[in-house]
Amino acid sequence: MDRRSFIKLTAVTGTSAALASCGVPENQLIRFVPDEDIVPGVAVWKPGVCPLCAAGCGLTVRVMDADADVARNGQLGVVRIAAAKKLEGAPNHPVNRGGLCARGQAAIQVTYHPDRITQPLKRAGERGDGRYEAISWDDALADVVSRLDGLEEAGNQRALAFLSRGGASHRAVLIEQFLARFGAPPPAVYELFGDEVLRRANATSFGREQLPTIDLANAMFVLSFGADFLGTWNSPVAQAAAYGVMRQGRPGIRGGFVQVESRMSQTGASADEWVPARPGTEGVLALGLAHVIMAAALRPASAAGRAGALVDGWSDGLRSYTPEQVEKITGVAAARVVRLARQFAEMRPSVAVVAGPPLAHTNGLFTAVAVNALNALVGSIEQPGGVFFTPQVDLAAALKMSGRAAGAPAPPFRLQREGADDPHIGDAQVLLVDGANPVFTAPRVWGVDQALAKVPYIVSFGSFLDEMAVLADLILPDHSFLEAWREAVPESGATVAVASVAPPVMRPLYQTRSTPDVLLEVGRRLRRPLNLPWQTFDQMLAAAFAALPSASPDADAWTDAQAKGAWSGPVPPGLGRAASLPAPPAARPIAFEEPRFDGDAGQFPFHFLPYPSSAFLDGSLAHLPWLQEMPDPLTSAMWSSWVEINPAAAERLGIGQGDVLEIASAHGSIRAAAVLTPGIAPDMVAMPVGQGHRTFTRYASGRGANPVEALAPMTEPATGALAWAATRVRVSRVGPPDGRLVLFAGGMREHVEEHR
Amino acid sequence: MSHPTGVRINNDLLRPLLLTSWRFYLLVAFFGGFVVAGGIAWGSQIYYGFGIAGLKWPIYWAFYVTNFVFWIGISHAGTLISAILRLVNAGWRRPVTRCAEVITVFALMIGAMFPIIHLGRPWLAFWLFPYPSDRLIWPNFRSPLVWDFFAINTYLTGSILFLLLPMIPDFAVVRDKSTGLRRRIYRIVALGWRGTPKQWHRLESAMQIMAIAIIPVAVSVHTIVSFDFSMAPIPMWNTTIFGPYFVAGAIFSGIAGLLIAMAVLRKFLHLEDYLHPVHFENLGKLLLVMALLWGYFVFNERLVTYYGNGPAEMTVFWQTQRRSFAPLYWTMVFGNFVLPLVLMGIRRFRTITGCVIASLGVVVGMWLERFLIIVPSLGNKYLPYSFGSYSPQPAEIVVTVATFAAMALLYVLFAKFIPIISIWELKAGEHPSPVLIPPATEEHRLGELHL
Amino acid sequence: MPRWGMAADLDRCNGCGACVVACHAENNISTVGPEEAARGRAKHWLRVERYWEGDFPDVRVTFRPVLCQHCDNAPCEPVCPTYASHHTEEGLNAQVYNRCIGTRYCANACPYNARFFDFFNPSWDKPLHLQLNPDVSLRMVGVVEKCTFCVQRINGAQVQAKAEGRGVRDGEIQPACAQSCPSRALVFGDLDDPESQASRLSRSPRGSHLLEDTGSRPKVAYLARQA
Ligand SMILES: Nc1nc2c(c(=O)[nH]1)N[C@H]1C(S)=C(S)[C@@H](COP(=O)(O)OP(=O)(O)OC[C@H]3O[C@@H](n4cnc5c(=O)[nH]c(N)nc54)[C@H](O)[C@@H]3O)O[C@H]1N2
Ligand SMILES: Nc1nc2c(c(=O)[nH]1)N[C@H]1C(S)=C(S)[C@@H](COP(=O)(O)OP(=O)(O)OC[C@H]3O[C@@H](n4cnc5c(=O)[nH]c(N)nc54)[C@H](O)[C@@H]3O)O[C@H]1N2
Ligand code: SF4
Ligand code: SF4
Ligand code: SF4
Ligand code: SF4
Ligand code: SF4
Ligand SMILES: [Mo]
Repeated sequence: MDRRSFIKLTAVTGTSAALASCGVPENQLIRFVPDEDIVPGVAVWKPGVCPLCAAGCGLTVRVMDADADVARNGQLGVVRIAAAKKLEGAPNHPVNRGGLCARGQAAIQVTYHPDRITQPLKRAGERGDGRYEAISWDDALADVVSRLDGLEEAGNQRALAFLSRGGASHRAVLIEQFLARFGAPPPAVYELFGDEVLRRANATSFGREQLPTIDLANAMFVLSFGADFLGTWNSPVAQAAAYGVMRQGRPGIRGGFVQVESRMSQTGASADEWVPARPGTEGVLALGLAHVIMAAALRPASAAGRAGALVDGWSDGLRSYTPEQVEKITGVAAARVVRLARQFAEMRPSVAVVAGPPLAHTNGLFTAVAVNALNALVGSIEQPGGVFFTPQVDLAAALKMSGRAAGAPAPPFRLQREGADDPHIGDAQVLLVDGANPVFTAPRVWGVDQALAKVPYIVSFGSFLDEMAVLADLILPDHSFLEAWREAVPESGATVAVASVAPPVMRPLYQTRSTPDVLLEVGRRLRRPLNLPWQTFDQMLAAAFAALPSASPDADAWTDAQAKGAWSGPVPPGLGRAASLPAPPAARPIAFEEPRFDGDAGQFPFHFLPYPSSAFLDGSLAHLPWLQEMPDPLTSAMWSSWVEINPAAAERLGIGQGDVLEIASAHGSIRAAAVLTPGIAPDMVAMPVGQGHRTFTRYASGRGANPVEALAPMTEPATGALAWAATRVRVSRVGPPDGRLVLFAGGMREHVEEHR
Repeated sequence: MSHPTGVRINNDLLRPLLLTSWRFYLLVAFFGGFVVAGGIAWGSQIYYGFGIAGLKWPIYWAFYVTNFVFWIGISHAGTLISAILRLVNAGWRRPVTRCAEVITVFALMIGAMFPIIHLGRPWLAFWLFPYPSDRLIWPNFRSPLVWDFFAINTYLTGSILFLLLPMIPDFAVVRDKSTGLRRRIYRIVALGWRGTPKQWHRLESAMQIMAIAIIPVAVSVHTIVSFDFSMAPIPMWNTTIFGPYFVAGAIFSGIAGLLIAMAVLRKFLHLEDYLHPVHFENLGKLLLVMALLWGYFVFNERLVTYYGNGPAEMTVFWQTQRRSFAPLYWTMVFGNFVLPLVLMGIRRFRTITGCVIASLGVVVGMWLERFLIIVPSLGNKYLPYSFGSYSPQPAEIVVTVATFAAMALLYVLFAKFIPIISIWELKAGEHPSPVLIPPATEEHRLGELHL
Repeated sequence: MPRWGMAADLDRCNGCGACVVACHAENNISTVGPEEAARGRAKHWLRVERYWEGDFPDVRVTFRPVLCQHCDNAPCEPVCPTYASHHTEEGLNAQVYNRCIGTRYCANACPYNARFFDFFNPSWDKPLHLQLNPDVSLRMVGVVEKCTFCVQRINGAQVQAKAEGRGVRDGEIQPACAQSCPSRALVFGDLDDPESQASRLSRSPRGSHLLEDTGSRPKVAYLARQA
């Protein structure tokens, strides 16, 4: 007898005899109360494109009736609208195959965010104080047009700067065309966790300036150098899907996975073996493996081709990278180096991945090239279970646009002034900002806010009053991704070319306008119109997709792609984006250089690792309450900032869980609560980026701390990319736990306090 | 030691009813203030949401359920003791029984509030009631909470009867001594008592039956309360010892509560002539016995757990033994075991003061015992990821304090309107059935525990 | 009559948390905000438990998505005085919010701490409420809520299948968490159908059930991480 049938015994006592007479009684009783209040309504599913990262995952959006307070023709009222209800991964999308990451799930809160900017705003107070007044679209556009006309009249078109997040997309092509036709430099692109170093390395090694697509699904052994490929890097949903297959999707076969990194990432947590190497020496480990493989004659040096030839000493079998030498530099035991090398060479197909912190050092390019060479050595390039490069459609070619229409290509504006005549953002007369927030994500020492203060006129297309938008003189809020035509051209995640596209899913809630349409309209209204060949963004998309072959016999590519949410297939001849670098082999062979760190090791004993948070990436998603309340994968923290520190180091400094710490570099200091975790080297502290917004809606403003503020202006010299892992810091305890750290979990050790 | 005569008994015991001093109002205001504060706290909890209490995932029971078990435990003093003493005909019980039985009724009333106070939606508490509804919705008779509902109601009804029956002759006395409105009221509640032999005989038989019937009810009530815990597959809850352990603990705390109440009454109502040191000493001995019994149960429970060494149980075990709950745990052991053992075990300390101190220790200790049964298990249930800790919030603290104030208030009011010592039982000489009720004078000489 | 269950492959799960947010999105679970979260009132019908083993540098992490196990002998059911927590004929542990009076007894009795209490009236800052799923009832202050195995999706698929005059196909019903899971760690299905993917996975030699010794007979099978 079990607990549920115990009723039969109690029934005998008489009180419940009536109940017992009808079998399992609760089933009889429950009929009388509803177990679910099903409200009738018919759901429709529409395609969409996730806007939150460059992966470009496809969505299917559940749309149903709802009553909303909306503005129509300037009138507020309650209207029955077709409202998006739930985002799901589009099952047949070539990138995400039905899956969606946590961020993608939360994307719907962008549309329904209570602090969205609902109409054009004109600055009414001092810059940065957030006081704005409403302005009509007509007046707003006239304002922009007159500013641009002013530049044009003065022959100063090059003083128009555009700041965006980059990535290939039709929107980016439109922006480029707009700027080129106006005579302005191309857009300045800034992303804190950008992948310039890896793109450059891939261009150098393989002639592809592009992020790789890893065929995890067919791999037998995966060796990842710091790449958080299941969490935040590149195309995480595609990669996690393939990872699932790699582990358990092939009967009788299970791929192995080793992660090299000095702070355990969400991805590292799933590894069979976790190998902490000294920060900035990961490339040495890669070459150490290559040395062992060549020395044991498992593969010949020549197998690596050009990718190997780039590396200093390759043809001699990398004699200076003996396991012992590697142990000295990286801290990884020589025997382990040998074993990993054998595994990597013998468990075919094997693949090495590199991204994240190893490339965020001053020698990042070396590290990436070293890992590329290792991949090439074992024959993992463009082979099943190896590294692929997703074919890219040349969008400009598809649109029959020539390169730059006016004048010589000018170098884009930069956020950081390097040379005196460096085109610097602070020299712009008019700045248009789309999707970037360098005030939050660039190191304090770059002085982005001071530079912006000098720009006389800033226009933001933002939907939220973040640190960047609050400096704008005019805000022209974009539609949300569900209210406008959306598209993406994923750089990675599939082995065929992909272009995602989706029509608006619902009517706009507010007086917002699609930014591409705004640019087109401004282009038309200028004194000297730009003569872009499209009236609206969807016309442009239609033109681009018309150039593609249809994937279905019943419809043209454009119609078919709209219905499915994506076009995918082989790139037609003439439309492929050539490997953009003809890859001049590096002037001199690439060799290991000691990583340089800002801050003296005596005074600043800890490496400082800011890393993209699972929830907020670089902080651009901190305004979504679901993500704020989602427990962090490794710490279970919600709504907080924290500093990860090894328990041994913490003990030495008298630091306990939750204590408030001060992290000070030579360039700034921040405070956050300590989280003691064994998954980090004792000479390192790590902190997720994402919190610490001064202004970014009710959910993110004033919450936690921003580690980027303490970063040193270290860069990777070849690309100029910020070396965000190259800062050293001092750690001190400034107080006991004060409640700023919110954890969901009560305990997370395997044998918590059991026998203490 | 003077042995009061019938007239003095009447005068002494009716004095509080007939004369009202300013101190009465002060006490009522004082305790009433706390009760009102408790009401406000509970009201805010309903108004603002349960969240103003300190409960959290996964510790969903804490102060309120502790109070529930504690007060139901306290209730075991009165009726149970007085029933046993009545049955064994221990003469020394006579001045004690009524103040003990009153404790039962009030403690039950207070304790029974908590299942309602702790509900997320207290306005729906009546759904626990098996009332016929046209939707054929009945409570779930498998739920220990529903058993609680029946057990407590039965016990409460029985205890009220047990308290009321022997009051009838006293109501008649008040009726005869008073005038005006008071007389009219007491005439009603005296139910036409004339003191005829037939009435006396019926009263005696009724009391005898009630005394026999109430004992199993009392034992079952706290066994069933213990089922609230032991029926759930939770570490350190799911144990067979909980029934007797809870009953023993209940009687233990009940005696302590009774001792404190008696000492207070004796002092403030000047009943030195009725509540003699020997009463305290006898109850003190009982307290000693119960302390030993309690120690036995705790030792048994802990040893078996320790020896069994189940990982889930041991996590909770060490929480109480050594980790965050250890200070509370060892305070409990001191209050429930060390203190009563020393004070009640050594004859020299078995004074009224000694009894009161030991009893205060036991009351605190028993409250902690209930808390320590509930909270550490819920906070350390199986999966470490979901472990949690608890600290009470003002609402729970105020409500808890208010219940003690409510007990005091009810007692003050009761003593004001009803003779707190059974007049007729003391005046047993005037009683037609001396066999059943030996004269007071004789009983005082006995001065021994008749169990 | 189907018997719904789930298999969770811990070798696929990488702790990404997509399932956690998907469940919030599907089931109208309100966020409680930082202050309440700090007080232990966050509601995650599904949580991904992480456990650390070992010390630097030999550390290992285990992720385990924990949701209501829809126990066949659910400890949370007999203790409920109002039948708000009850067993359906299809083996679900169902929760009738409007019968729940908030004793929280069920939550205490659940060995998995899978039940969550609404300490305040759930609320949404407008217009976040526009996202609410009309298929899922909103809860009110003072009741206990928990994973329903997305019963609205089960019902919806059954109605659809019935309308089309067929049975429900294996894999047709996907709870929101399983639907979102990028690495396909969660597989839902009918355990009484020996051919369903969920029941085949549940019988895997890697499979076990969580806290089986409590006698709760959970219906979520966990497939252990290998190596
Ligand atoms: N989830 C959930 N389930 C429930 C309940 C609940 O509250 N929640 N409540 C339960 C209760 S109490 C009941 S009574 C049942 C009700 O369950 P149903 O009897 O299924 O009630 P309705 O949904 O109103 O569907 C009645 C159908 O009759 C059609 N209809 C309307 N007028 C006529 C007519 O003149 N002629 C004909 N031939 N058809 C007509 C309607 O279009 C509709 O399709 O549901 C039960 N099931
Ligand atoms: N707009 C609209 N109105 C309708 C209908 C409709 O389809 N649309 N359908 C009609 C029909 S067919 C019906 S049957 C009626 C149903 O109408 P009602 O009988 O009002 O049914 P419910 O709305 O389900 O409300 C049931 C109430 O019982 C409470 N309850 C739950 N458990 C218990 C318990 O254990 N004890 C007690 N005492 N109460 C409990 C719930 O909290 C709730 O307040 O509605 C009718 N009215
Ligand atoms: S990986 Fe990027 S595009 Fe894909 S669902 Fe997540 S946030 Fe959206
Ligand atoms: S997991 Fe908990 S809530 Fe779910 S059925 Fe089992 S006991 Fe009940
Ligand atoms: S909280 Fe609700 S569901 Fe749980 S036992 Fe109490 S009434 Fe039943
Ligand atoms: S089955 Fe549905 S309700 Fe349960 S955890 Fe998954 S999404 Fe949430
Ligand atoms: S979505 Fe899948 S992989 Fe991610 S945490 Fe949930 S079960 Fe694990
Ligand atoms: Mo009905």
